[in-house]
Amino acid sequence: MTNHWNDYQNTDVFMVLGTNPAENHPISMRWIDKARETRGAKLIVVDPKFNRTAAKADLYVQIRPGTDIAFLGGLMNYAMTHGRYFHEYVAKYTNASYLIHPDFKFEDGLFSGAQVGEDGQVKYDTTTWQYQRDEEGNVRKDPTLTHPQCVFQLMKKHYARYTPEMVAETCGMSVEEFIEVAELFTSTGRPDKAGNIMYAMGITQSSHGSQNVRAVAMLQLLLGNIGIPGGGVNAHRGESNVQGSTDMAMLWNNLPGYLPMPSAAAHPTLEAYQATTPKSGYWSNRRKFMVSLLKAWWGENATAENDFAYDYLPKLDHRDHSHMSIFEAMGRGELKGLFAWGQNFAVGGPNVTRERSALANLDWLVVVDLFETETAAFWKGPGMNPEEIQTEVFLLPAAASYEKCGTVTNSGRWIQWRDKAVEPMGDAHDDLWIADRLYKKLRELYATEGGAFPDPILKLHWDYDDGDHPSAEKVAFEINGYTWDDRVGLTTFGNLQDDGSTACGCWIYSGYFDNFETPKCRSRVKDEPGTLGTHLGWAWAWPVNRRILYNRCSVDEHGQPWDPERPLFRWDGEKFIAQDVPDFVATNPPEVSAQNPFIMMQEGVGALWSPSGMKDGPIPEHYEPVESPVTNRLNKRQFNPVTIISGKGEFGQLTRAEDPNFPYICTTYRVTEHWQSGAMTRSLPWLGEMMPDMFVEISPSLAAKLGVQPGDRVEVTTVRGSLVAPAMVTPRMRPVRVHGREVEIVGMPWHWGFMGQFTGASANVLTPHVGDANTQIPEYKAFLCNVKKAGGSGPVRG
Amino acid sequence: MTYGMLIDLSKCMGCRGCQVACKQWNDLPGEETSLGTDFTNPQKRSAYTWTTIDFLTAEVNGRTVATFTKSGCMHCLEPACESVCIAGAIKRQENGAVTIDHDKCIGCRYCQLGCPFGVPKYEYDKPVPRMQKCTLCYDRISEGLEPACAATCPSGAILFGEREELLALAKQRIAEGNGRYVDHVYGEHEAGGTAVMYISSVPLDLTTLNTGVTTESVPGFTWKAMRQLPALVGGAAVLSLGLMAYSNRRARLEAEQKGGGEA
Repeated sequence: MTNHWNDYQNTDVFMVLGTNPAENHPISMRWIDKARETRGAKLIVVDPKFNRTAAKADLYVQIRPGTDIAFLGGLMNYAMTHGRYFHEYVAKYTNASYLIHPDFKFEDGLFSGAQVGEDGQVKYDTTTWQYQRDEEGNVRKDPTLTHPQCVFQLMKKHYARYTPEMVAETCGMSVEEFIEVAELFTSTGRPDKAGNIMYAMGITQSSHGSQNVRAVAMLQLLLGNIGIPGGGVNAHRGESNVQGSTDMAMLWNNLPGYLPMPSAAAHPTLEAYQATTPKSGYWSNRRKFMVSLLKAWWGENATAENDFAYDYLPKLDHRDHSHMSIFEAMGRGELKGLFAWGQNFAVGGPNVTRERSALANLDWLVVVDLFETETAAFWKGPGMNPEEIQTEVFLLPAAASYEKCGTVTNSGRWIQWRDKAVEPMGDAHDDLWIADRLYKKLRELYATEGGAFPDPILKLHWDYDDGDHPSAEKVAFEINGYTWDDRVGLTTFGNLQDDGSTACGCWIYSGYFDNFETPKCRSRVKDEPGTLGTHLGWAWAWPVNRRILYNRCSVDEHGQPWDPERPLFRWDGEKFIAQDVPDFVATNPPEVSAQNPFIMMQEGVGALWSPSGMKDGPIPEHYEPVESPVTNRLNKRQFNPVTIISGKGEFGQLTRAEDPNFPYICTTYRVTEHWQSGAMTRSLPWLGEMMPDMFVEISPSLAAKLGVQPGDRVEVTTVRGSLVAPAMVTPRMRPVRVHGREVEIVGMPWHWGFMGQFTGASANVLTPHVGDANTQIPEYKAFLCNVKKAGGSGPVRG
Repeated sequence: MTYGMLIDLSKCMGCRGCQVACKQWNDLPGEETSLGTDFTNPQKRSAYTWTTIDFLTAEVNGRTVATFTKSGCMHCLEPACESVCIAGAIKRQENGAVTIDHDKCIGCRYCQLGCPFGVPKYEYDKPVPRMQKCTLCYDRISEGLEPACAATCPSGAILFGEREELLALAKQRIAEGNGRYVDHVYGEHEAGGTAVMYISSVPLDLTTLNTGVTTESVPGFTWKAMRQLPALVGGAAVLSLGLMAYSNRRARLEAEQKGGGEA
């Protein structure tokens, strides 16, 4: 998130959109409540289901799953047409004034530059999305924001179609409800108010998920809510350390610190990779980060002469290697082996019956987990015939979080060291021990047996030994970075060099460890009460211990805080008085830093318009989910035209819009008592007794229609599969009214599977194998189903 | 000094951390349960489940309302359970905790009958059953710690402290809450006053608190009621005395065994 948990105490209006903090991030409610008590803050919850957060809201509005862009576009339209945006901020700190190519168009649901393939799939040429530039290459601007081709006017025109009536019809809310939210949230579009939008997988797990996030960011830019205390675009990360794992290159196309993964074809040399480095903005330093990373990994074998061992670095081929693509390739028999390290995709993966079947095509599967998960036991799952499955499965027992030391990075980017509390049970070992042993064995095999290309393994700089166990501190020191010659820890990535004199495993973490005696991530000093709660002495936040990103935006051109009550910075005429680490050169006069308040951006300003960052448009447009009960009324394209539809093969099963066989919207979610695929929580009696059984939540009106009493078993079917579970009939669920028609919503948690102490059907037997055009995250939140009374009542276990 | 808890229902979000913390600290087993009509589970308190969050979801004036109510022992200032306990096992401690001495408890269940909140529970599955209930974490608070439920509550809905201070805080929150709260501190007068108190932002009849409970001190009229049932009381007393003898003998044997082990 751009801000951090404790900063929620500074918010005036919260909008919870596609996240469920009370249920999935309970600790956040402490800070939300503090703002409500001390500032009179208001809490808006917009969600398809009346969840536990909604129970605490000042204003709850139901939304149809998958229509967030219609809603957010409606809010932007409302803010722009009613003058409820923060004009000075928008004019000076965003690219609202930038002029766009005169040939830019949006017609029939497509942006200009669309190249429509034979299968209807669209790829964009982004030429017409670019800025207009003068002879010297400078962007043409209109500071008055009135030029018809400036970003602000193009946005205004684009979202003019998103009227309250259209939003209400599309999103399944009343016009009055929409206006109530719009009035309340856009009340923060002024200097002395802070609005905070929280989101999670309800926003991202969509065929237009990245554009959903863009829409959130754009609304916050319009309202001047980014870079200020109490504001922000705040992603509630779904696991305690998922921020840390993302920072460490969990995504297939990233290297640590969000360096783009080089492509074998396009970037065969370090020079070719370097050619793609942005010329302006902080990313212009990318070569230093990359060379220091290579130095950290290959040590003395990484020299200027061999391009710092760039050849040793694995590179991308032409294919997508995200989750769904891997499983589709596995289904075609293209993978031999797989490590499932703390992942239970046999419950968590979309269209999970097909994914389980794909696992049977592997020669070997290694599962590293606390329990025998459904993934480890996929061969004995429902419908599987163990006699026909030849996959050899290895289950390595892993240590639990309190049985190992290391850091956890929270959603607010705070990195906190955690000591080991107890020894692991039985043969269980921590992940570092397992990785260390695995590497040493591989090294031994390459040394004795050779191989196609043994050097990247043999020449790795692997120096973590500490007695008979690798040292997590030594790994942390490498991630932090150090000077190569004398092994002095770095305090900031500003010290990184591109000549091999520094090594650093993740540039954005540079400074978090610092030294072995007093690691910064161990620091535990709190601020005095009465401050803004940045707590710079508590742990360490990336980057450079900054708590609020883009924080130059919290002050005006002259360095004065927009809100004197929340002075993150204040220019006293000679220097900045600061409560946070500046995201700008604080030694410069404020009028200078005001020119590039978003230093990570090439243009130095917030991107209302994205000329080349997105595959599916420079600004978000509403498209229906791939499976939708209605046709798209906002444009002529039914769903995101850039979304990849396999269309064939066993993963390609999809339902077309308005299919009478699947009349209901289905959505999946989590509950407090279980965690993710339930691999850990479904074997804990205290959690299991509270939430023992899989269930399907339906509205009283749907129950009446189906003749279902509470607890009666229902069968939920999609084109991909079906499950049977008892119905929970509850006013938490309500039908939505969409384009004049009432549509029921069916909801269910996805925590259950066939292993562990508490078993039940997996919701993902229903979900589609289709995802976001930019990230390929699956569309778990909105698809079509049918529901029938199944006969009998009570739990279905096993 | 009387300790107590103030449960601010407006802050409770139904995460049930308290329910787990209670089981963890008191080493209580998970129970066999199954899905109910709402999320409350176990659906009733028992000898092994001393506190639950009770979920109530309803439609009120066309809008959905959901409340989460922490249930458990109220730790009455004048506990009815103590007054009816013929074995002298239940005692209100000086710090306000109402506890059961299991060396004395004979499992007669008078306390269960006497309690206006139905709190003490019987160990149905044990050969020699005793009564069980929340102890206000007597062992923890005697050592300067908060009760486990209060210590774990992430939203600050469960506050532990001196009852008088908590009562003042409750009144202050109501007074300064700009209508956020219903003007009622549940437990200030209920059952003659309890150490566990509640404030709420929704009418109490939308919670699972017993709004029908008397505000009179309960021991007095409990005894009045029980006096009307001489046969029941007499019969139960005979049985109970027998159990008491057994219980005492067992306690003695356990103590001897323990002593022997230590020697």
